[in-house]
Amino acid sequence: MNRLSRTAAAALAAVLAVVLALSGCGGGRPEGSTAVPAADALETTQGLTEITFWHSMDATNGIALQKLVDQFNAEHAGRIHVTAVFQGTYDDAITKYKASVQSDTTPSLVQVYDIGTQFMIDSGQVVPIADFAERDGYDLDQIQPNIAGYYSVARRQWSMPLNSSVPLLYYNKDAFRAAGLDPDDPPGNLAEIRAAAERLSASRGGPVQYGFGAAIYGWLLEQFASTSQQLWCDAENGRNGERVTQALLDQPTVVETVGWWQQMTADGLAVNTGRVTKDAQDAFKAGQTAITLESTGALKSFATAAEGKFELGVAPYPVVSGELAPGAGPSIGGASLWISGLGHTEAEKEASWQLVQFLASPESQAQWHIETGYFPINTAALELPQEKEYLAANPSFTVAIESLRRTELSPTSTGCAAGSMPQIRKASEDGLERALIGGDPQESMTKARQNVGLTIENYNQAVQ
Amino acid sequence: MGTVASTPVRRVRHRSSSAVALLYLLPALLVFAAFFFLPLGRSIYLSFQRSDLFGRPNGFVGLRNYELLVTSGEFGRILLTTFAFVLLTVVPSMLIGLVLALLLSERIRFVRFFRTAFALPFAYSVATAAVLFGVMMNPATGAFNGLLSLVGLGPVGWLTQPPWALLSVALTSVWMQVGYNLLVLSAGLGAVPDDVLEAARLDGATGWRLQTRIVMPLISPQLFFLAVTGTIQALQSFGQIHILTRGGPDRSTTTLVYSIYDVAFANNNSNFGAGSAQAIVLLLVVLVITGFQFGVLERKVHYS
Amino acid sequence: MTTTATVAPPTSTDDPSPQRRTRRRTPSALGTYLGLGVLFVVLLFPVYFGLVGSFMGSADLTSFPPKLFPVSGLHPENYANALEVIPLGRQYLNSFVVAALVVAGQLVTSVCAAYALVFLPLRARTFWFFLLLSTMMIPWEAIIIPNYLAMAELGLVNTIAALALPYLAAGFGVFLMRQAFLTFPMELRDAARVDGVSTFGFLWRILAPLTRPSIAALGVWAFLSAWNMYFWPLLITQAPENQTIQIGITQLQSVDANDPGMVLAGVALALLPTLLLVLFGQRFIVRGLTAGAGR
Repeated sequence: MNRLSRTAAAALAAVLAVVLALSGCGGGRPEGSTAVPAADALETTQGLTEITFWHSMDATNGIALQKLVDQFNAEHAGRIHVTAVFQGTYDDAITKYKASVQSDTTPSLVQVYDIGTQFMIDSGQVVPIADFAERDGYDLDQIQPNIAGYYSVARRQWSMPLNSSVPLLYYNKDAFRAAGLDPDDPPGNLAEIRAAAERLSASRGGPVQYGFGAAIYGWLLEQFASTSQQLWCDAENGRNGERVTQALLDQPTVVETVGWWQQMTADGLAVNTGRVTKDAQDAFKAGQTAITLESTGALKSFATAAEGKFELGVAPYPVVSGELAPGAGPSIGGASLWISGLGHTEAEKEASWQLVQFLASPESQAQWHIETGYFPINTAALELPQEKEYLAANPSFTVAIESLRRTELSPTSTGCAAGSMPQIRKASEDGLERALIGGDPQESMTKARQNVGLTIENYNQAVQ
Repeated sequence: MGTVASTPVRRVRHRSSSAVALLYLLPALLVFAAFFFLPLGRSIYLSFQRSDLFGRPNGFVGLRNYELLVTSGEFGRILLTTFAFVLLTVVPSMLIGLVLALLLSERIRFVRFFRTAFALPFAYSVATAAVLFGVMMNPATGAFNGLLSLVGLGPVGWLTQPPWALLSVALTSVWMQVGYNLLVLSAGLGAVPDDVLEAARLDGATGWRLQTRIVMPLISPQLFFLAVTGTIQALQSFGQIHILTRGGPDRSTTTLVYSIYDVAFANNNSNFGAGSAQAIVLLLVVLVITGFQFGVLERKVHYS
Repeated sequence: MTTTATVAPPTSTDDPSPQRRTRRRTPSALGTYLGLGVLFVVLLFPVYFGLVGSFMGSADLTSFPPKLFPVSGLHPENYANALEVIPLGRQYLNSFVVAALVVAGQLVTSVCAAYALVFLPLRARTFWFFLLLSTMMIPWEAIIIPNYLAMAELGLVNTIAALALPYLAAGFGVFLMRQAFLTFPMELRDAARVDGVSTFGFLWRILAPLTRPSIAALGVWAFLSAWNMYFWPLLITQAPENQTIQIGITQLQSVDANDPGMVLAGVALALLPTLLLVLFGQRFIVRGLTAGAGR
């Protein structure tokens, strides 16, 4: 009996020790602030400053990013050491970030997707990039203006873009030829896509199964609003300092697009492969569809898949009707880097800023672009010899560069900055999906707008 | 229940003796306290709270989370989808399992081989089964549409077109469940005494009559057991929906559990208040349904 | 809810090898074979396609209609590719570690608790019994939010510990062991007491060895449920090197290249341990399952 009691007491003590050790994990963090540190914060700190960097870049992109981080670590050996940690998809990473706020263990630097921008601002955890730039006289104008515009709210740039992409129209030139279409005259609006699809689709005696096929992906709908110079949300897409209260999901431009898409599917001219972007990509790569909408990110894998099978065509993102107005164009997608303030020392904040500058430099961005296919966010990168060489070998990428260069910075071309943007995007997908499976386009989109309205309201209440 | 009272232990009325037993209960109690009872209380608490940006409770809102749930218009549909999914999963998997078990109880060759083969789907986890069926149900290159095209049918939008999507998710679940049901029902049939069957046969009962009148009541405990556990399991299904349809298309496969995930963890939502309200509803649904099954169904069960 | 205990079918069903019926072969034997044959083809097709497909190349699997057997050669490199794209090796290890922790935890907590409930003097025995059993009536999904929050507050998100901790005890385990202990002959217990065997000594040296089949059944059940977990690991881990194989194989689908053969290879790898269990450990599975509950 005695032995038993002792065993039990020991077990209990062990459990308590574990619990204490676990709860002790979060302790000992500096309080920190979201104020910009002094310029000499690193110099006045003894020894190595260690920072953690959470990102969502896997496979090829992850390797390319690690390579850049390694270069940075080598340059700052003994002074700064960056540990880059892959945290799963963008959605996973932001979920993990929220958990880390609760346990007071946020990373020094975090990569967050485009639609998380307003949320990160509202989180109250971060030091704006603009504050660092102001302190150092860092020239933020070297960042491609449309990309910088996306990450600026009320004219203040909060985060540094790392990886950006632009939407494009991809088409199968061989299929165009087989259908008797001009392979060098890609469709520029919805009516032209339909006209081409009528010649391309098997249901009308064409050479491919479906003329058109793109994923049910909200970003693509947003791009139609952008190229048609329409806002996606009120408060000038949330850019004028006011909060977004409505997502304009049932505006005529969007309803027209959704109605067109529905008709294409109903008439057997387009295939509905669902929301998974990969499935729509696979259909295009397999030659089952001849026209698709995707980001620059798909360029590399499309080119590889097309090799020896068909000639790949790349064109600017289409408009809903008529022609692209002067100054009109798509907005961007991708993700940006946020520097944590709360819970981090002055030296850590400064070290993060050093890393951000390194990653945004022309040389880094040129290397990044060539290895990953993402759009270079630093305009000076395009002037470097390695970029000139790359563009000569990959002329289709210039379509993306030109398309963004022509686009004037305006609220309609920067996309919507709302805290509920992830939910708004999903709501637009709900609406499009409902229409594609038979719902009335107007009704579907109105319902989607109403559904997400409550979420927006909740969000706005939560941040007040 | 009677079994509890008859626990064969000599009661020693000694306070100190109870302490030893409690020590042995302690490890289990600690785990349950930390990960069941405390969270249950917290679920109820959270369901009356607003959530801040990070999902932290941010002020008492009374019944507002429940009110929004009921008035959103989506809630009825979610419950309907949930029940439809349960029926589409439990009924077919029990029927197929029963047919298999009865066929395998016939005096035939290769029973062992068949039983092992039919039990194989039981080895599949929800993730392995759903990924496998996802490959086969791929709209463009899947084997299912491929097989259909051989006989001039299709293509079917297995996962992209309601009501197919719910049927496809249920189909995956049924497939996973059949092996298990077969194992349980075979065990039940194996325990049916041969003399009972012989006596029934002498009385002239054969074939279908024998099965329905004599055999079925004898394995009713197993059937009841499968109905209860199958229902609870179907109510809790998540993986196959998450992997195959993400609750779509047009929310046609959004069940209660998937909705909890959607509200609390997807799309940067972190609405733990609303999610907790749905979690409490789930708890009540499970309690009510199992309560009903025990209250009504169990009376028809024949315990020998 | 008090009635969970009665869910269990009679204990005689524990016998996994039903005796052949002495029924006479009827004209319906042909029908029986026909029915079995049809069901065999339908139900086993996914198993066949999953295993054979894991050796097939993209050319066969993505052509339309896809081939049902490897027309253009076998592609065992699918397995190497799967292991390369996702750290499946590491995730395999994670799954085993989590499963081992859960099995060990549940054996200890269940055996101890059932021991106290059956053999030790305990006041309010019924209360404790139903308190432990009530956890079987709480759907895990109904308490997943607070459990997630607790892990976030403890800074345990994305750790192996968080994967195993909530599963170190299970109401079903306590129930199963209690059922086994109840059939234990009391004379043996009394004899041991007369011989001066200690409380723990009786459990460790006499009770546990003699109820080994039930303990093994619980171990198998705990292993299966831990190995097959999906929702909790999905929530609580993000970095691939901390995830389990079940989550890992779903990521194979989102890899850029369209390579169903590689995806199916990942599925086959994740399936291997449970497949072996079903093929060779069916005895224990049936015992565990028929005694109470599913996954």
